[in-house]
Amino acid sequence: MTKVRSLLVLGAMLAAALLVAACGSDSSSSDSGGTIIRGTTDQPISYDPAGAYDLPSYDGIYSMYQNLLTVEPGGNKAVPEAADSCDFTDKDNKVFECTLKSGLKFSDGSDLTAEDVVFSFERNVEIADPNGASSLLANMKSIEAKGDDTVVFNLKEPDATWPLLLTTASFAIVPSDVYPANKLQPSDQVVGSGRYTLADYQPGQQTVMEKNDSYQGADPAKNDRVIIQYFDKASALKLAVQNGDVDIAYRSLSPTDIDSLDGADGLSVISGNGTEIRYLVFNTKLQPGDNDAQKLAIRQAVAQTIDRQSIADNVYNGTVQPLYSMIPQGVEFANQGFSDKYGEAPDVNAAKQTLADAGVDTPVPLEVWWTPSHYGAASGDEYAEIKRQLDESGLFDVTLKSTEWNQYSTAAFTDKYPTYQLGWFPDYPDADDYTSPFYLPDSFLNIHYDNAEMNKLIGQEKSSDDPQVRQQAFDRIGEIGAEDAPTIPIWQADQVAAVRDGVHGVEETFDPSFIFRFWLISKDQ
Amino acid sequence: MKESSGSSGLRTYVLTRLGLALPTVLILLTVVFLLMRVAPGDPITAALGARLPAKELEKRKKEAGYDKPILQQYGEYLGQVVTLDLGESVTDNRSVTSILAENGTATLELTLAAFTVTLLVGIPLGLLAGRYRDGPWDVGGRLYGIVIYAFPVFFLGFLFQLLASEVGWPTSGRASPIVEFDLNKVTHFYLIDTLIQGDFNAFWDVLQHLFLPALVLGLTISGVLIRLIRVNLLQTMRGDYVEAARARGVSERRVVVNHAFRNAMVPVVTVAGLQFAILLGGAVLTEETFNWPGIGSELVRYLNQRDYVAVQGIVTVFAIAVVAVSLLIDLINAFIDPRVRYR
Repeated sequence: MTKVRSLLVLGAMLAAALLVAACGSDSSSSDSGGTIIRGTTDQPISYDPAGAYDLPSYDGIYSMYQNLLTVEPGGNKAVPEAADSCDFTDKDNKVFECTLKSGLKFSDGSDLTAEDVVFSFERNVEIADPNGASSLLANMKSIEAKGDDTVVFNLKEPDATWPLLLTTASFAIVPSDVYPANKLQPSDQVVGSGRYTLADYQPGQQTVMEKNDSYQGADPAKNDRVIIQYFDKASALKLAVQNGDVDIAYRSLSPTDIDSLDGADGLSVISGNGTEIRYLVFNTKLQPGDNDAQKLAIRQAVAQTIDRQSIADNVYNGTVQPLYSMIPQGVEFANQGFSDKYGEAPDVNAAKQTLADAGVDTPVPLEVWWTPSHYGAASGDEYAEIKRQLDESGLFDVTLKSTEWNQYSTAAFTDKYPTYQLGWFPDYPDADDYTSPFYLPDSFLNIHYDNAEMNKLIGQEKSSDDPQVRQQAFDRIGEIGAEDAPTIPIWQADQVAAVRDGVHGVEETFDPSFIFRFWLISKDQ
Repeated sequence: MKESSGSSGLRTYVLTRLGLALPTVLILLTVVFLLMRVAPGDPITAALGARLPAKELEKRKKEAGYDKPILQQYGEYLGQVVTLDLGESVTDNRSVTSILAENGTATLELTLAAFTVTLLVGIPLGLLAGRYRDGPWDVGGRLYGIVIYAFPVFFLGFLFQLLASEVGWPTSGRASPIVEFDLNKVTHFYLIDTLIQGDFNAFWDVLQHLFLPALVLGLTISGVLIRLIRVNLLQTMRGDYVEAARARGVSERRVVVNHAFRNAMVPVVTVAGLQFAILLGGAVLTEETFNWPGIGSELVRYLNQRDYVAVQGIVTVFAIAVVAVSLLIDLINAFIDPRVRYR
């Protein structure tokens, strides 16, 4: 009897608690003024710039720190951020000097000085974190402070891309008296001089940033707080933006999700210029063909046969654009090398002629690899479409093979796959970042491609800051890239977000720099 | 004399079981270590394989110590386990201890809630099915048991999500983003933390978020429990002592609840305990479906990134937890049923 009574009392207490709770207002809606909630499936690796080389980490770093230089919304050139001015001071483009703005402060109240800048770069190289981007500083011979407000970079080789390299979040400025010199600062203990301070970081769950009232710089935040909420699955993210649990769903909704959200009540789909690309790679040693001429003809014939527009329309529902150069549109010095040489539309007859001229027997057996676990859910459909196009031409007999990313990322670059799928997003929005990683003999692709003229042109564009010289070099690089076709560009992605009504400014931040500028976003109260 | 012999038998049994637990854990740790090394890929190649040249990748792998002899790595791993220092994840620099504290409690909260649903649904339906054999309750209960067990949890979850989103009920996460931020996470059990904070609005928000995943996971497991209770009840109902109780004029309700049910629950405790242990790791599909930041979904993420340290740490704790629960069940059984320890 006593037991029964106890249970009844317990039950009554629980019911009362629930009743009180149910009668209360929904706390999720009690405090939304000035708070922007962005849902994403991408998770950051580190909020210490020295440990970051990934977009999700960059999202937080760009918001909480400052770089010497940055890219303005809609721009594609390096402009001062923490620096007042920066320039090469020698004719060889090997000495780069920056003068800092005065009055800059970190969120802990300390001054941002040239010593902090030197410390930030030196610790990046010293730590050489496996997940970091210290390898991008390979050309830095030394860095020194001249007084409190001037920093001098001495480079090993002339490098016109250096200013844009400095806009990369990995090279943001950290305080020398807070951050350790030889190991990473924990991600939940950020001290920066950016527009936001870190209020909370729960890995896998959320990052919360609050407006930094002591921020000294241009464009202070238009909102008071930003919450980045992490989702495992795009389907859960889609439901969350539909239900209004998040204001913005950005990266990585599938094309089908985007299609179904377009026109849904209470939200709109916003897209902008993106510079993430997908391309097909040929290992020139393993690909079919009895000699170099036949191998070249096979690559050219594939380039002539693939219908990029069909892939963009039918597989990606128009959320990507056909790509006819390794340098995507929107990046300065972009060209159309492939469409200039082969035309935009596929030309099977021309491809047939190309193969016949080189004495290649058709159909050419082509083993093409792709991965289902790295480049989005639509990769399978994309490669089924490519196979269909090539097979239907009668010129190729494609065998599709796939494997998980962990195996793929090792095998593809160690002479295991003759032809394979790959993607790229920029370290910095310079055309060099879309050419030297692919076309130089020591490329990470390891495809045994080596063209002396190409190597010379890349050296030229890298060392000169004369726009005319660079334009000519990139134009010729585009021609040779299309002629040799060791890689075939397929598409470039738009940046796409689903945004709740009343949220403004997302479209302003979509540009080739891939910087997600939370500070431009506002919400109707 | 008899009592002394009984406690000695129990002591021997406990010591034997404890002695077996250690090699079991060691075998599990070794298997996990070897599987992670045999599987292709490593954290650095997984993260940067399509950005950096092979030479640079090798350099970074060497700096991270992945080229050390496997025996040395194994020794260091066991040393970490013994000193309870499970290290830091390679891919996002989190201490494994904090992963277990934050994500492990999320899983435990979900599992406890789901298990409550399982018991609330499974026990009454199992009792009714056994009590009214071949009647509508029995047929309905068995049918429900089979159907619910056959439903893939992610499919059931997805259906519930669609229904819930129609009425504006939360479909993902542990709490609304702002509630989650405002919550002072003392125990990392959000229901408890909201009560400690005295914030009933937040409590309601967390309860709403917990309801759907707990319901889906709990219902899926309840099918097994229904069938188990039914079968055990039918067997105990055939016992002599049940007949004797009936002959003494005890009401059928009391026969079922007070006599048959208690005895029928002995094997059920064993299976339910094991189900609970399995739930700890097996909640992963539910976690993925409802974006529940539990340890299972974190494990999958780290596995995909080939994060040796995180995976080894999490699985180590899983293994120890499952072995501990199994041990506890054995001990409870031995305590309840003397026949167990004399076998």
